[in-house]
Amino acid sequence: MSTISVDPVPGRSDEMVVNMGPQHPATHGVLRVVIGLEGERITRAVPHIGYLHRNHEKIEEARTYFQVVPYTDRMDYVSGTQNELPVVLAVEDLLGVEVPQRAKQIRTIFFELFRIASHLVWMGTAMLDLGAITPFLYTFWDREIILGIVERTAGARMLPNYYTFGGVRRDVHPEFFKDVADFLDHLERRMPDYEHLVLENPIVHARTKGVGVLSKERAIARGVTGPVLRASGVAYDVRKAFPYDAYPDVEFEVPTSPDGDTYARFWVRFQEIYQACKIIRQLLEQTPKTGPYKGKVSPRLKISGERYRAVENSRGELGVYVVGDGSDRPYRIKHRGAAFTNLQVIPDLFIGAKFSDAIAILSSLDPVFGEIDR
Amino acid sequence: MSYIPIPEDRHFRIKRIGYDPGRSRPWLERLVYSLYVFAFWGFVIATYAGVPALFDALGWTAGWGYVVMRATQVVMLFLLSAVIALMLILALRKYLGKVQERYGPMHYGPAGGIQTVFDALKLLGKEDFVPAAADWLTFRLAPAVTFVSSFAIFAVVPFASGWTLADTNVGLIYLIAVSTLSTYGVLLGGVSSGNKWALVGALRAGAQMVSYEIPLALVFLSVAVWGGSLSLGKIVDSQMGLWNVVPLFIPFVLYVISSLAELKHIPFDFPEAESELIAGYNVEYSGMSFAFFFLAEFVELFLLPALIVVFFFGGWHGPLFGLEPGTLAAGALQSLYFTVKTAVWVWIFLWIRATLPRYRDDQLMEFAWKAMIPLALFGLVLAAYMRLIWR
Amino acid sequence: MDLRMKQERLFDEDVYTVHPEDYRALCEKLKADGYDFPRAVSAVDMGYGLRVVLHLVRMSDLAKVEVRTDVPYDEPVVSSVTDLWPGVEWHEREAYDLMGVRFKGHPDLRRLFLEEDWEIHPLQKRYDTGGYPLPGWQPAQWPDPAPWVEPPPPQEEGGEKAEGGEAE
Repeated sequence: MSTISVDPVPGRSDEMVVNMGPQHPATHGVLRVVIGLEGERITRAVPHIGYLHRNHEKIEEARTYFQVVPYTDRMDYVSGTQNELPVVLAVEDLLGVEVPQRAKQIRTIFFELFRIASHLVWMGTAMLDLGAITPFLYTFWDREIILGIVERTAGARMLPNYYTFGGVRRDVHPEFFKDVADFLDHLERRMPDYEHLVLENPIVHARTKGVGVLSKERAIARGVTGPVLRASGVAYDVRKAFPYDAYPDVEFEVPTSPDGDTYARFWVRFQEIYQACKIIRQLLEQTPKTGPYKGKVSPRLKISGERYRAVENSRGELGVYVVGDGSDRPYRIKHRGAAFTNLQVIPDLFIGAKFSDAIAILSSLDPVFGEIDR
Repeated sequence: MSYIPIPEDRHFRIKRIGYDPGRSRPWLERLVYSLYVFAFWGFVIATYAGVPALFDALGWTAGWGYVVMRATQVVMLFLLSAVIALMLILALRKYLGKVQERYGPMHYGPAGGIQTVFDALKLLGKEDFVPAAADWLTFRLAPAVTFVSSFAIFAVVPFASGWTLADTNVGLIYLIAVSTLSTYGVLLGGVSSGNKWALVGALRAGAQMVSYEIPLALVFLSVAVWGGSLSLGKIVDSQMGLWNVVPLFIPFVLYVISSLAELKHIPFDFPEAESELIAGYNVEYSGMSFAFFFLAEFVELFLLPALIVVFFFGGWHGPLFGLEPGTLAAGALQSLYFTVKTAVWVWIFLWIRATLPRYRDDQLMEFAWKAMIPLALFGLVLAAYMRLIWR
Repeated sequence: MDLRMKQERLFDEDVYTVHPEDYRALCEKLKADGYDFPRAVSAVDMGYGLRVVLHLVRMSDLAKVEVRTDVPYDEPVVSSVTDLWPGVEWHEREAYDLMGVRFKGHPDLRRLFLEEDWEIHPLQKRYDTGGYPLPGWQPAQWPDPAPWVEPPPPQEEGGEKAEGGEAE
């Protein structure tokens, strides 16, 4: 990571090699992109990652499965419990354990709450990259409400370690359903303002329409998932394709957009917030207020076999490939990061764009480096 | 909302400083910030009425005495610009806090009133070095050029009837000339920094400022044509019956937009895009040199709305309630009107800063050359036509 | 096409275990069958060698497939499928970086997370969690029959029928 891997090309003397370095206010984390600029236009882009590599996979080989779950929280730290679910589902498949329906519904409510929280963070930081300093604070206030709800139930705000094999660790707190319903009312009062200031803003249109177009075939071939893929017109959503938890019982749509530009990615994430609100409202009615929240799983796990299981993170398909060797520690866990795979399209999208478009494109790809570097 | 866990450790802080800074008292904020505005007003009165009165009393009115009097006024205006910058930085932060549902600076002074003093002390305490790759002389001179060109606009701004430092009859031309000089400062500062990012920022800033000078100059011409004079004092006088904003509405809109671009204010703050180029052309500056760039920007943040008021909103005009024009009391009242109107426009600029994202630079330039210049020309022709018909 | 491979069905996926030399041919066949979406490429250290696992999805009917191949430690070379599915580029780089699997034909096989001048591939079982070699670690015996060989069909009690396999 110390050498520039973009050498000056002889004959191309007016190309300026600029290092959009690991410390930069707009790279959403520690990303280094070595960019070759000709004037204002980008001709080469080589991303370097690994500044946040914490070697999750080797460490998790030395921990029991119950200890692995809090490690997974730390991957996509903005999305909280969403990271725990692939491991939990994979181990439940390998154990063949029965999860009570109420536990599945509670898990899904938290999953969607964290999707809203993650998209709120995305919205604040994307607008901050584009220059508007105010939406950041509004969206973080809404996120505070979600984190307060999670804290009352799970004990911790951002990294709750709440899911477990067979269900969730503890029951929801007594006013959970009222709190979530109040939050949804509050959010639905705020969303028209956000839409007006973000989606209908002519400056945002000028900065994002037609910028960073990713075609459908390229997106599928690159393995891109999540809002980025759906903004290019492909309706692939793991919640619908390979359903899990309580998703088969709720009705929701998967928003897609035929243009593949940055504005489409903005729009798709907005619609996902609305869809998440819809899912949570249905689940609030369907979930019984009391009941079982955990299935019977013996603490002495014996997992053998392999399983790849994926969920639809806020960023895309977050998958885990668990290889068990009959003991209670994983033999191998590999995490397939959603943002990791999405970030591969940086050379495709940056080249030919202007430099400030690069910032807008990067913010619309929504990378979170805990998940990329693991 | 009862389900948000509130941290209960605020009592620790109270014991140390004697009051709870985390609690917001709106009456205190309004008091402190009105005091600032009144302090500014008092300073203006002292500079424009007090100093000449003092020198009259001393009898030093002719020859060198006149020069010394004007020099004293310039020094006081320099202090005034420092006070303005102090106040505006604080007002910006507090206002952004208000818009963003938070408090803004609260800790130093009542409701954060003394915060900027500590900011200034911090900037003074930083090491003010020249990078090895930079050109020493140009690096040191650039902030001075920028500051001087912003500060020199003070010379022609009329705070009240007769209260101008130099009411020349080519005031508008002086204005155009001087405000263009700030482009030099920015370009020199960025190019001499020896840093690729600063270079890119300086080039963008230079291109942007130069493109927006042209609609600015055309708007000035429209105002001059309608008002019948190039002197700012006479332009204000000519707005006695009707403020210029009504007949000259198109130039007014264009002037607001060009001012935002000259200030490198959002939505045109591309050269100092904080989230893209870190700080653009002033990334290598620290300490007092940086403070000069900063000061220049905030002084201009006051002066350009002041100019909007002068050109379009009647300057210091307002009901005099029977006071004799030309006396101290009338002058004070007129400068109060001027201050209040300028404050309203500064507030509008800050409001825009809090709300909008920024345009990309080629979109900025496209907007200037393809949309604003034709409109400005149209406005000029319209102003000339209206002058012919109605005056 | 005569590929040395074994096909089984685990949970809801078709799993192919293939000889490393036929890995590329199988991948091309799967791509021609319509598997266009690459989910992940994982590398697993099996104790006797390194295993590369490729997960694919067919977008049209959402069929999942998994392709595995085992290579020995001293020659961990597998052909790259980046030109078939560009989305495995970084996954293969990660497998190279952490596990040491070299992908032949990869356009830019550099280390992804770790520094470029590191020599070890820390996720292998011969190193402990700190990256230090475990004393006395020996690779296990290569399994016999090899993983890509079709297992013999289940024995019938006292019968002589054999459907396409060896009778015991």
